[in-house]
Amino acid sequence: MTNTSLLYIEDDLEIGDWVCRNLQERGYIVTWLTSGERALEEASSNQLVILDVMLPGLDGFTVGQRLKKQYPLLPILMLSARTSIDDKLQGLQFADDYLTKPFHPDELIARIEVLLRRTGSPSPEPLKIKHLLFHEKENRIVNQDTGEEIILTGKQFNIFNYLLRHLGQIMTKEQIYEAVWGDTYLDGDKTLMVHIRHLREKLERDPAVPEIIETIRGIGYRVRA
Amino acid sequence: MRLRPFQKYRSSLLTRFILIIAVALLFIPVLIPISLIASWGVNRILYPMPKVERNPVYQSGKELESLWHKEALALSTSTPEEINKRLEELKTMYPDASLFWVDQTGTTRLQLPQQETLPLKWSISDAITFMKQRVDADPFTIVAFIDGEEEPGRGFMVFELPRKFMNIVSEGRPSDTRFLFGFFSLMLIFFILLSYFFFRDIRHRLLRLEAAMTHTGENGVPALIQEGKPDEIGRLETAFNHMVDELNDSQKREQEEENLRKSLISNLSHDLRTPLTVLASHLYSISKEPLSEQGRHSLSLMETKIGDLDGLIDHLLSYNLLASGRYALSLERQDILRIVRESAAAWYPVWEKAGIEADINLPDEPLHWNVDEQGLRRVLDNLFQNLVRHASGGCYVGISLTKWRGTVALVISDQGPGMRSTSPAKGAGLGLPIVDLLLQEMGLIRDTESSSEGTSIYIYPV
Repeated sequence: MTNTSLLYIEDDLEIGDWVCRNLQERGYIVTWLTSGERALEEASSNQLVILDVMLPGLDGFTVGQRLKKQYPLLPILMLSARTSIDDKLQGLQFADDYLTKPFHPDELIARIEVLLRRTGSPSPEPLKIKHLLFHEKENRIVNQDTGEEIILTGKQFNIFNYLLRHLGQIMTKEQIYEAVWGDTYLDGDKTLMVHIRHLREKLERDPAVPEIIETIRGIGYRVRA
Repeated sequence: MRLRPFQKYRSSLLTRFILIIAVALLFIPVLIPISLIASWGVNRILYPMPKVERNPVYQSGKELESLWHKEALALSTSTPEEINKRLEELKTMYPDASLFWVDQTGTTRLQLPQQETLPLKWSISDAITFMKQRVDADPFTIVAFIDGEEEPGRGFMVFELPRKFMNIVSEGRPSDTRFLFGFFSLMLIFFILLSYFFFRDIRHRLLRLEAAMTHTGENGVPALIQEGKPDEIGRLETAFNHMVDELNDSQKREQEEENLRKSLISNLSHDLRTPLTVLASHLYSISKEPLSEQGRHSLSLMETKIGDLDGLIDHLLSYNLLASGRYALSLERQDILRIVRESAAAWYPVWEKAGIEADINLPDEPLHWNVDEQGLRRVLDNLFQNLVRHASGGCYVGISLTKWRGTVALVISDQGPGMRSTSPAKGAGLGLPIVDLLLQEMGLIRDTESSSEGTSIYIYPV
């Protein structure tokens, strides 16, 4: 993902400099602030905010809450050295993700990408998964083997789309069911399994040996790029 | 609250109770006379005086009697003609009366009017019979001797008047005690009501106090109550409110202390992690440079140690919070399998990377335990982390439910070298104590079976 502009708020110069360089090396346009004072003005022109908690003046929680209030759709990633569950819970009340320091830059990038995919505008580039091409903008799935478009029912598409939005993550049956049906998962409900089976019949080369939608035995399902 | 002695006694329940007892004791000597007087008074008010109708002519018997005797005395020296004349005059004055007179020889003289029954000649027995018959009889009879002191035995004169012409006295006043029973009952009912209200009031206030003590607010402290009368119960209410205030104060202090400690630990975590992050950033930058094999090895070792240090700081601070009881868990009855699955989903990529095969065998039916979601996640994280660190050699993680000591237990097993073996990644070992503290807070027990073949950890509710 290139040409994505990020707002980064961090008061530690060494860490800030390092993160900035890293993000820029990967093609992001970064605006770095060392305090939260101008965060609200700067945020409007960015697609994601990376926010530290311990800041001079306004603390990160306050800045984050104000940002979320003004720009409810703007994803916020907390990047903090405060690791207690209380801090995480407080952060996650408004933030979309919470990463603790020290962190590996690859993990930061991975989380940024997940957030952008989950909340950002659909990317013009089609997403390639094995033999499938997913055109996010038009919600179109094309089988590259045959060149044919795959037509899914509403529920099938919602399930697949949910797994795509959490690309690489394992989602449990409960999580998928509750996200797609918007209802509490009832124990032993076979509806999801039936839908996954039909989905596989349409998507997979060989539904008996699924490649696109992996079953993680005992846990749930996963789609990997 | 300090009360002046008088006010204190006046507002005391004891005083009021003694008052009631006193009323009970005074019932006979005081209340009965009072009801008597009241009954008498009411009787007088309702029936002021018996109504007496006076006959203007005949007046009362006494007056007639004295008049008749006076007349007889006046006629004591008169001649029979004069007596006849006077009787005729009197007859015109008292037309309803019968008059006659008898002379000294016992001969009936003038009769006004003529009476058949009267003997013409009076014997002694006639006179006695007449007198006997007429005592307190109708007609009202007055017999007067017509003789003065100087000249006795000149006969007698009789005045007879049917009693219906005499004073008509209406029925007498009803008995003064007729209302006694009513007043007595009224006072008895008043006394019973007084006692009833006295005890009902006490009971009501005690129950209110009890309810206030039982119902606690969100923070576990009862709410303040409205203070009533300043008697014993009122003082109890004041004391209760005082106690609630104290409780609130101490809870506030405790909360402040807790916040202080939490913020201290948060800041400490921040101050330790920031240099660690800087260190890691430089290591990462170096790793981008061309390095010798030896350099690359050292770098990877340093990265591992930074990871360990990070974990250690986390454990140290968590343990501190947990051990001091500042780690607030909110226990909720929920499906733990869901939490286990989500935690396993997060760890699955790590296991995949470390070549650990996951054998997760959990039923579809939920298993409800009373746990704190974050707490249980922390427990699983620590256990899974230990497994990756110390038992990845076994290349296996098993998560399932089993019957264990008469209940259903969650089992996490590996095929590593066992806990007694020395692991190259062994540290201060705060991971398990944190697990145990958290489990204990959630009312869960951990049993561990470990051999060189592997380790199984059983978690089950008490």
